[in-house]
Amino acid sequence: MVLLLDLLTTAAMLFVVTAGLMMVFGVMKIVNFAHGALLTLGGYASYVVTRLQMDPWLAWPLAIVVGIAVGMLVEGLIVRPLYKRPLDAILATWGLGIVIGQLIVMGFGREVQFVSAPLSGTWQVAGVDYSAYRLVLVPVAIVLCLALTGLLNGTRFGVRTRAVIMNEDLASSLGIHSGRVRFITFSLGAGLGTLAGAMITPLSSVDPNMGLPWLVSAFMLVMVSGHSMASLLLTCVVFGAAQVLVSTYASPVLGGLTIAVLAAVTLRIRPKGFARG
Amino acid sequence: MPAEPADPVVRARPFNSLLVLGAIGVALLVAGPWVFDTYLLNILIKAFFFAIAAITVDVLWGYTGYLTFGQSAFFGIGAYAAGLVFTHVGFSTFTVLLAIGATVLASAAVAGLVGWLSFYRGASPFFATVISLVLPIVLTQLLLSGGSFTGSSSGLTGYQSFDWSLEAWYWVAGAMLAVAGAIGWVLVRSDAGRVLAAIRDNEVRCTYLGIDTSRVKIALLTAMGVMAGIAGFGYGAFSGVVAPELTGFALGTELIIWVALGGRGTLWGPLAGGVLINVATAYLSSSMPFAWQLILGGAFVVVIVLFPQGLIPLLLKPFGVLQGATRMPQLQERPGSTDGQATDAVAIRLQGVTKHFGSLKVLQGIDFEARAGELVGLIGPNGAGKTTLMRCMSDGAERSGGTVELCGSDIRQLPPEACVRLGLGRKFQNANIFESLTVAECLRIAGTRLERPSLLHQDPVLRLPPYALHVVRATALEGKLATVARDLSHGEQQALELAMVLALEPRVVLLDEPTAGLTKTERTQIGEVLSSLAHRYGLCCLLVEHDLDFVELISTRIVVLHQGAIAMQGSFQEMVNSPLVKTIYSGSTHAMKEGS
Repeated sequence: MVLLLDLLTTAAMLFVVTAGLMMVFGVMKIVNFAHGALLTLGGYASYVVTRLQMDPWLAWPLAIVVGIAVGMLVEGLIVRPLYKRPLDAILATWGLGIVIGQLIVMGFGREVQFVSAPLSGTWQVAGVDYSAYRLVLVPVAIVLCLALTGLLNGTRFGVRTRAVIMNEDLASSLGIHSGRVRFITFSLGAGLGTLAGAMITPLSSVDPNMGLPWLVSAFMLVMVSGHSMASLLLTCVVFGAAQVLVSTYASPVLGGLTIAVLAAVTLRIRPKGFARG
Repeated sequence: MPAEPADPVVRARPFNSLLVLGAIGVALLVAGPWVFDTYLLNILIKAFFFAIAAITVDVLWGYTGYLTFGQSAFFGIGAYAAGLVFTHVGFSTFTVLLAIGATVLASAAVAGLVGWLSFYRGASPFFATVISLVLPIVLTQLLLSGGSFTGSSSGLTGYQSFDWSLEAWYWVAGAMLAVAGAIGWVLVRSDAGRVLAAIRDNEVRCTYLGIDTSRVKIALLTAMGVMAGIAGFGYGAFSGVVAPELTGFALGTELIIWVALGGRGTLWGPLAGGVLINVATAYLSSSMPFAWQLILGGAFVVVIVLFPQGLIPLLLKPFGVLQGATRMPQLQERPGSTDGQATDAVAIRLQGVTKHFGSLKVLQGIDFEARAGELVGLIGPNGAGKTTLMRCMSDGAERSGGTVELCGSDIRQLPPEACVRLGLGRKFQNANIFESLTVAECLRIAGTRLERPSLLHQDPVLRLPPYALHVVRATALEGKLATVARDLSHGEQQALELAMVLALEPRVVLLDEPTAGLTKTERTQIGEVLSSLAHRYGLCCLLVEHDLDFVELISTRIVVLHQGAIAMQGSFQEMVNSPLVKTIYSGSTHAMKEGS
């Protein structure tokens, strides 16, 4: 039972972390290697909330606001000039990640910090005591998935976004401001990234490099899952399960590598990933 | 940009200034121990080893277009090979050889595995980059969990190593760097090096020229992995300390930063960048530890966004050091290529070829054959499936059912480069060439399948089959051999691509709208070339064309494609008089007249 809960909550964490990247990379095909730094930024947003001894729930909205603000800035200064040079976009956003990381080190120091969780204690599920906060992440992930699917498939903005992805020239000639669509999606994705950072920090700790291990897993998951939020959720469940099982029965070190290695092999064998297979 | 005049005096000057720069470098290498203090010598020795790794990153990324964060892994493999062998087995001549052997084998094996994972048909360059990021992370984790064998997070230290003076180490490291630089220089300037640039420019075109790009990249990664590994071995043997950081992504990122700031695709830029930034880091990181990293990161972002060519080329540009010497090769007819195989053997045969996207049927039950010496015009309204049919003929993975035979061999699921080896040449609808290479280089790469390019030098003679030579001479290309393809006019680019396809000496040539966007004169020229291909040299040409006048002029047979099936075949007159064809086009006759 504990294993099953571990599995579900790990999948939920993975989804929360990956959703923002899905918006930016999976949907808009913009490579954002600063996603790891955004996660870190979100972690520090919740650290600030803890330090100021405010209500820990405030960390979430604060993280979103910070993320969207940073996202808007980054999109205008770095991502936009590099739309036509995707490999350089990788490097520039990666460099930006370094800059953000160094700024965090200068502001908060190198040491590992801890934040207080909005929910402490345990809940009983089917006779097992389990961390309440971890459990909360499961419905959060499902709601997030539904909300983003709704946004992309059910709203005018979603239609425009898809139009821009499919045929940018045609979309522009129909009066869709493709630059603005990219700008909004990118900022939203950045906001989701920092939100994810704030969400996962109570479960681990905060340090200037906390985002990096997630970054690689997140990119792998998005590449394997294709372009729909629902398939991303499914991918997170499958690969999260693999990670939990390997960590439990083999070793945590190998568990940490499971997603990256498994996804690499999956993509080698089925280059199109799960979704369009 | 106009073509550079081929004046030898103009080209001699940059060559001299490069020589001067090289001489200064060598002088510094020799004189170093008398000029620098102990601290700086220490820093420089390490910087030299790192710079070798930076050169490998530049060859992979700057020249071949494979952005990799993973070269640090190979550096670390070499360093750990030294550390592990000297710690656990001891130090002797035998163990030194053992460690070097282990470095080479392990680097090559890991590079082969990573290459296999990263490069395959349909893999995006982005995917390869992410894999290159996974490699150092995996390796670091393995080292961290290696217990006392790998020394875990503190690494290995205190092992015995070469008993050399600092001066000797300086010269050894410097010599290794010079050798690595020279190897890189010879490689990228050679004809084989141009193939790497071609892969960077346009990988699809490469595969349709019969080049197995995956294999080339895996081989290159293996070579560069071994080179970085040996640099790492030198580092491990010199410093007497190896730590997991040497394999980590952080070093991998730094390597990229040095290359980017130094100037990607220049070799000496990354070399200088690697050494200078290492020295600067050593001095500045103690006085301003965080700010220096911040400045470096910020500079990196600015350079990538605003000056993608890097800082050192930017600084040296006013002095004119950079114009590489482009030699004009001599054109020559390739011997043994004129035998027109004067038969009318079946060159291409399709049986029951179908193609569907989900439930949408694009092609159904295509049965078709064409013989050597035929010039078949493939016509049909927009959306009839003409281009899809060409794709199915040239890439085994494209069709959903049926068989395709090229010159008697079934293409099964073979990739384009294998189809090319069976005798296929495909010209795309839009000029599909290597933008940053010169006309001569484009043509030489097209001959890669027939003449293995040299790893060491540039061939002063460019050999082409007579019909390709005819295209080059009939159009203005002959006088523009040293012009970069990007600067050609639209018509010249189309002619260049045709010449490249013909340089393959194909038996079957697929041409997708070869006259689109050409002037009247150019169109006539192409028409003559195509006729002579079929009638004089016995090639089988398949031509998708909207210009019916052009088709009437040159083709020996017409195939009409309608809604994914062959509606009729026959002579041009039969086609024009056919009521069926009139019905097919009745909706679009108006549009067709406008188009032609």
